[in-house]
Amino acid sequence: VILRDYLVLSAAMFAIGAYGVLARRNLLILLMSVELMLNGVNIALLAFARKYAATGADAHVLVLMVMGVAAAEVAVGLAIVISVFRNRKTVDTGDLRSLQG
Amino acid sequence: MIVFAVAAAVSVIAGILTVTRRNPVYSAIWMLVCFVSFAVVYLKLQAPFLAAMHVLVYTGAILVLFLFVIMLLNLRPEEYGREYPLPTRVFLALLCLGLFLFMVVPMVRDGGLNERIDGPAPAAYGSVRQVGEALFTTYALPFELVSALILVAIFGGVVLAKRKL
Repeated sequence: VILRDYLVLSAAMFAIGAYGVLARRNLLILLMSVELMLNGVNIALLAFARKYAATGADAHVLVLMVMGVAAAEVAVGLAIVISVFRNRKTVDTGDLRSLQG
Repeated sequence: MIVFAVAAAVSVIAGILTVTRRNPVYSAIWMLVCFVSFAVVYLKLQAPFLAAMHVLVYTGAILVLFLFVIMLLNLRPEEYGREYPLPTRVFLALLCLGLFLFMVVPMVRDGGLNERIDGPAPAAYGSVRQVGEALFTTYALPFELVSALILVAIFGGVVLAKRKL
């Protein structure tokens, strides 16, 4: 396995997540797509650490931070989804136009 | 090589199924498959601690949270949201394929990325001891800040989702 294989996998997961964010209108699946993108980036980070770092501890700590931020983001995001659904009875981003200028 | 190829193929296929299923429950289950194969990739990258944390945090916490919210909302099929028409989705898929190629083509041209990285790792690479020492000495402040962030996220989640405080 060469370094490029991991980077191609990372780019593929990022592109798949980007498609989900752009093309889906269900808020729940939008959040899942963001998770896929974050995971793709983590793999690139670990692959570079495997090649360049002596112990890899720095990169591993950084990936742990990304996981913590992703968990916080999902908790708040899902709370917003619940709140939106309670008030507007929809999870379709196309129906949420109150902030549109 | 075989392990990596299988894990990569499974995660890409499960990822595509995650973003294309109409029912959010199916999406969540495919995301579970995707995350488990990611843990295998982490193991291949000599990161056993992170593989364990990934399974704990993503499948144990985040995915269960998604399933709880899906169950709580109890969406009927007509409430899944109207998707964009097929030509728009095909255009966006091609756009993302373009993004993928934009990232991959320079990598294919770069001979420096040909180096094998599945050889024997340096001693103690990625061990729990190394990661733990870095986490609690060099990165103690960022670590504590992440815990403050998660605490704020808990408060935010309660305030946003609670009907009446």
